[in-house]
Amino acid sequence: MTSMGTTGFEITVNLIKTVLVFLMMVQAVPILVWLERRGSAFIQNRFGPNRVGPLGLLQLLADAVKFLTKEDFAPEKGNRFMFYAAPVFALIPAAIAYMAIPMSVPLKLESATFLIQGFEINVGIVFVLGISSLAAYTILMAGWGSGSKFSLMGAMRASAQIISYELALGLSIVGVILMYGTFNFNEMILQQQGPLSFQAFGYTVSTVALPNWGIFYQPVGMILFFAATFAESNRLPFDLAEGEAELVAGFHTEYGGFKMLMFFIGEYGHMMIASGLMATFFFGGYGIPYVSIQDVQNFGMNLFGSEIAANVFNTVVHFLMYNLKFGLFLWIFIHVRWTLPRFRYDQLMDLGWKTMLPWALANTMVTATVMFVTSYFMF
Amino acid sequence: MTADAFLFWFLAALTIVSALSVVLMTNPIYSALSLAMTMVSVAAIFVTLQAYFLAGVQIIVYAGAVMVLFVMVLMLFDLKHELQAFTRGRFSGAFKIASIGSLAGLLVGAMYTANVLTVPEAASVANTTPKGAITPLAEELFLRNVFGFEALGVLLLVIAVGTVALSRSKGGTHARH
Repeated sequence: MTSMGTTGFEITVNLIKTVLVFLMMVQAVPILVWLERRGSAFIQNRFGPNRVGPLGLLQLLADAVKFLTKEDFAPEKGNRFMFYAAPVFALIPAAIAYMAIPMSVPLKLESATFLIQGFEINVGIVFVLGISSLAAYTILMAGWGSGSKFSLMGAMRASAQIISYELALGLSIVGVILMYGTFNFNEMILQQQGPLSFQAFGYTVSTVALPNWGIFYQPVGMILFFAATFAESNRLPFDLAEGEAELVAGFHTEYGGFKMLMFFIGEYGHMMIASGLMATFFFGGYGIPYVSIQDVQNFGMNLFGSEIAANVFNTVVHFLMYNLKFGLFLWIFIHVRWTLPRFRYDQLMDLGWKTMLPWALANTMVTATVMFVTSYFMF
Repeated sequence: MTADAFLFWFLAALTIVSALSVVLMTNPIYSALSLAMTMVSVAAIFVTLQAYFLAGVQIIVYAGAVMVLFVMVLMLFDLKHELQAFTRGRFSGAFKIASIGSLAGLLVGAMYTANVLTVPEAASVANTTPKGAITPLAEELFLRNVFGFEALGVLLLVIAVGTVALSRSKGGTHARH
């Protein structure tokens, strides 16, 4: 982790940045909710919320007001402390983990350099996986604190599912880590710059048609990782935690109003982490295909003629590129939710332990073997 | 007080308070959650020592997986009986205090005899390797201590097989004959 800076200006900007990333995450949630409701309506041939404001966009505001003014209810038989602590804790892991994902080229302003991420940590992957795995506690606290059997059963299911799929999730990116040889997100993204090229048996293989993205090296890892993140964020087709046909609403049955909304933000936060990681690991992060960071910088120099303006331009362009990829994966999350049916619980566990885990292990071993063979034998 | 010192004292206090509440709480679920809190704050102390990888592994393995399983199993039980067992009984209370005391004595004794408080040589070694690098750790584990590492893995496997065998035997561990 780099320090917060040496001068007062750097420290102030870095502190404001952490708050900004958190606000960005929280503010993206209403937009995603709107997108999800309109998107599901589009998929199911309905209208969706279209009355409040243009395209129903002000529905978000109305919802927020509704959530804030609802009765603050806690079940009598439950554990009040756990019941109130759970939704607050649901926000923390998602927010902290999301801050470690780089969103653009570092911004250079004269002598100071600002990373466009909450903070840089040298072992980014381990950090993000570790922190986001703490989300299981909030679900358990909510389920147990509610004092209702549906909540408890939903929480049990959810946490068992999260722990099971964490193994597949962790193993599916070991191949990625082996390939890049680093845990650092920024280094990974820089390695994915330029056209596809790699060294095998002493030769250099390169193409011009494809970008040097992780997906072309780790397609199996990509599929396993993306599937596991669906389970981690408790989204359909893995939303056994809710299973409204069986469990009313799962672990948040007793929750209403703003406490419910906080769980929502947590869930969407995990979706955002998953989308950010997908972009970083397999789709070049903030990198633009066929265009290098230096190209954008030169273009900015020609356009504005000043160094600082070009730097700002470079950062903004890459930030937009990152958000394009990020939004695409978020849309896939939403689209999958409204297209696929839910698994049965035993099918879910079978898929996690008997299919994804062996495939992830095999992917790791094949990657390691191929890397060893192609780099140590020359022809 | 510098920022580093403040962080250290804050995290140390947090670790000790949460570790104490593991044994002082009457409800086993609070105890388990406090233990998870202890793990997280120990990981934060690792971060201040620039051992990022260890901190991450500490959170993933202990706080993220092991303790979640503990909490899950605890929540599945009807805890009224356990609550009584935890709160009442002079014998169990004395036993708890005795075990805490002996563990604390063991730790203090180990620190006192092992001279861990004076580490100028180890610090100079650590300064030559890049901060938070994973390669030295991997070399220790997979080259120098590979036998011990693999033996521990086998031991864990034996425990897992033994647990499954016990639970699948007639009546399992909860058999009442």
